[in-house]
Amino acid sequence: MAQLEPTALDVRLTPGARRVGRGRLRVPGWLALLVRNPKSRLGLGIVAFMVLIAIISPLIAVAHPNDFNLLAAKQAPSWHHLFGTTDQGSDVFSQVVVGARRSLLLGATAGAMATVVAAVLGITAAYTGGIVDEIINLLTNVFLTIPPIPLLVVVSAYLKARGLMTMAVVIAVVLWAFEARILRGQALSLKSRDFVVASKAAGESTPRIVFGELMPNMISRIAAAFVLVFYVALLVDAGLEFLGLGDMQATSWGVTVYWAQVNSTVLQGEWWPFIFPSLALGITVLGLVLVLAGIDEVSNPRLRTERIERRGRLALLLGGRVLAARTAQRSA
Amino acid sequence: MTSVVEAPVELRPRTETLLELKGLAVEYGRVRAVDGVDLEIRAGEIVGLAGESGCGKSTVANAVMQILRPPARIAGGSILFQGEELTGKAAEELRRYRWRNVSMVFQSAMNALNPVMRVGDQFVDMMRAHERVSKRKAIADAGELLELVGIDARRVRAYPHELSGGMRQRVIIAMALALRPELVILDEPTTALDVVVQREILQQIQELQRKLEFAVLFITHDLSLLLEVAHRIEIMYAGEIVETAPAEKFATAARHPYSRGLLQSFPPLTGPKARLTGIPGAPPDLRDPPSGCRFHPRCPQCDPGNAALYLRQTTERPRLLEIAPGHHVACHLVEEEAR
Amino acid sequence: MSAVAPLEVRNLEKRFPIGGALHHAHVHAVDDVSFVLQPGRITALVGESGSGKTTVARLLARLYDPTAGTVLFEGEDASGLRRRHEILNYRSQVQMIFQDPFGSLNPVKTVRHHLERPLRIHRIVPSGEIRRRVHELLEIVGLVPPEEVAAKYPHELSGGQRQRVAIARVLAVEPKVILADEPTSMLDVSIRIGILNLMLKLKEEHDIAFLYVTHDLASARYIADDLLVMYAGQVVESGPAERVLAEPLHPYTRLLIDAAPDPAALAGKRIEPRKGLAAAAVDPPDACRFLARCPLAVAACSASTPALVEARPGQAARCHVTAPAPSIT
Repeated sequence: MAQLEPTALDVRLTPGARRVGRGRLRVPGWLALLVRNPKSRLGLGIVAFMVLIAIISPLIAVAHPNDFNLLAAKQAPSWHHLFGTTDQGSDVFSQVVVGARRSLLLGATAGAMATVVAAVLGITAAYTGGIVDEIINLLTNVFLTIPPIPLLVVVSAYLKARGLMTMAVVIAVVLWAFEARILRGQALSLKSRDFVVASKAAGESTPRIVFGELMPNMISRIAAAFVLVFYVALLVDAGLEFLGLGDMQATSWGVTVYWAQVNSTVLQGEWWPFIFPSLALGITVLGLVLVLAGIDEVSNPRLRTERIERRGRLALLLGGRVLAARTAQRSA
Repeated sequence: MTSVVEAPVELRPRTETLLELKGLAVEYGRVRAVDGVDLEIRAGEIVGLAGESGCGKSTVANAVMQILRPPARIAGGSILFQGEELTGKAAEELRRYRWRNVSMVFQSAMNALNPVMRVGDQFVDMMRAHERVSKRKAIADAGELLELVGIDARRVRAYPHELSGGMRQRVIIAMALALRPELVILDEPTTALDVVVQREILQQIQELQRKLEFAVLFITHDLSLLLEVAHRIEIMYAGEIVETAPAEKFATAARHPYSRGLLQSFPPLTGPKARLTGIPGAPPDLRDPPSGCRFHPRCPQCDPGNAALYLRQTTERPRLLEIAPGHHVACHLVEEEAR
Repeated sequence: MSAVAPLEVRNLEKRFPIGGALHHAHVHAVDDVSFVLQPGRITALVGESGSGKTTVARLLARLYDPTAGTVLFEGEDASGLRRRHEILNYRSQVQMIFQDPFGSLNPVKTVRHHLERPLRIHRIVPSGEIRRRVHELLEIVGLVPPEEVAAKYPHELSGGQRQRVAIARVLAVEPKVILADEPTSMLDVSIRIGILNLMLKLKEEHDIAFLYVTHDLASARYIADDLLVMYAGQVVESGPAERVLAEPLHPYTRLLIDAAPDPAALAGKRIEPRKGLAAAAVDPPDACRFLARCPLAVAACSASTPALVEARPGQAARCHVTAPAPSIT
């Protein structure tokens, strides 16, 4: 009987091990999952649609959406003015379409800024621990206790320049702390995973571990943070403008609605300058919220389902209905 | 006090068949995790099912318990409990069957205890789901069950995190025995437990089995446990049973190269030291299993030099053949040698 | 090559505070542990969970700082290392393999990344040579063909393969000491021998000093030259592996031997159910920590903690009964 050479350590690879995606294009697993999840697929579709509109807005809007033409004022939606005209005769459709640009840009900028700050500070605090953690925590707590809306109102009222960049910065300043706390929490749980410890034992420097080991494993949570700040930024910006505290020179959904409200157009039966921009805002936010829900389901993963599944299995085995229902209630 | 004592003579299993699997096949999507398994467990018998991770042994257990979830489904064959076919039974009947007739201790079950409920309350929930019984009686029964597994009855009031891993596993075993089932399935009951705790759990199981006379299906990747505890051993590889033999014969008379490889994987604690070889390679991907005998890529007996045999090994799936009373092997070489 | 042992531990102690902010109690996770790791020898550290064996390994890997005692690296006190290049040097010489083959690899990085990083950090080979070295390492640990394996992600490999990658990563820096923390306990038994054989090969061909932390006595016997048994943070017995297992001095060692599955002894072994847990001691009194489970206990055992005494040449135990301190006359 042929004995295997004790030192033959050949370990052939399992035949048929497959890689996601073909050729060079490797779709990150979680992105593929997002597309498959029905909620986030719808959300992504909506957001993509709005982005498209924003991109082609110069082509479909009139040259100057804020131009007014009193002769054409207060017209209901028609083929000539798809969304009707305002009290001053401006084309509502153009305002909505151009407003999309501003909104998306603002949301993305605020989202990016807040997320970057939250990620860097939160993850570094979690990994380094000690005094650095204490300081960053203090900072986070201070910012968390500041009520965002009143702060925004006060800052906007006092700021001379209220351009898009300013608004984005203000919103990012207000929202980063919330996300920093969440990302710190997740990084803390990752920190004790063996591969992080192994990197440290191999001599990796702290920045390389934060950016190279921890962050890549937190992509879905960071993406979620970005989406959250994005849609909150949209709502806050529109809200401020509605109150007259935003950049009132800009073409944006909030401003259109502001003027509609100030001129009491609805009372005069002119619903269109009110409804269309609001709908646009609402649909965009809905899309983002759906994407967020999808990210949560995809990334709060199998961990949660696995745990519940195991307990659910135990419950199922022990007697089905009663126990399973109560267990599900308790683990939810 | 620690001492080593010879174990008393084990109870001989009774002869009536309790569970019978005939040609059982289970699929996950298009992957056949279990491919034509025949298995028989007699009343009071301890049957050990051994194999590497991914060979399908846990799937067999889930199928017997009828807790397979989509995309897993039974694709063929039958599961007979006391002569009655289980597949196709109504959900309500299955619910009563589970835990009364067959119960299960699954892998890492000790971590599945509800952390916010006291242990006693979890027992109560379980018992009241099956019988009309007052809470007081249920708690009293729970206390008795804990004593049965060697835990002080007063610990019914404990929360799971207050108990050690070994104690939690005993709680799970107690729960599995609460309704005095005829068959208990243990899926890796001692993995993740320390060696001393493992020994105690095994002893406990043996004692309980002697006292209550239930049958056991003991599933593990650690063959050494089965050699000590089981009456009969079945070896599973890539979804199939490749050998089955009485436990006392197994260590010396196993014929399948995989079984022998497994036996070669245990460094001895006493006796002469020797370099072992284990089993090189890894189990096959069941999406695309090797043709013919599924073990052939890793088999030391598969030699292209022996052309006729090699052809059979790579194209024909071997069948289980009885080479001695109670001893079946699925191997082309063994078949050849038996002629 | 220096004649000084690469790693020596003297009276190592580690306490963890428990009890929330007030910190009113301490767990004595590691207490008075001393041993030497020699090149080309495997020292097994055996015990149950809570015995402190993993903490010892992590102390040696400088993942914790000891509460007391010294770690001598090539004769010099390692706790005095402050400068980055000194610490980096230590880390390149003393490496660790972890228990969980999946957890020790970053799921979003390829095998190649895992092996390249240490090569780059410690500048083992010039950058033009890195690819070749990565393939060499994979071949040493038996993962072939190396180009294919290097491109894989951890989830595409089996448990045994992942552990081999972890070993390759550790080898990349050419360490003098490898601390293996239960490297096989999460692998199937059929795979374990392969990993153990690999460790033997590395010890023989590369003259590496190994610390093998495990709760499995049989595997310790298979590969270890020296054996240390730990209980509740203390070393309770030490000596050549074969001697200790054939003629144990300490009753706990005896218990471990009886509890271990041994297919050769098919007659059922029995041990008495124990009282109390083997967990690490919280603020233990001055007495033998094994008292509650010991069949040999006498009055002296509750009066003072026994010292580690060399009762036979090369074999020491911490027990008043089997290894009493020589009386001072």
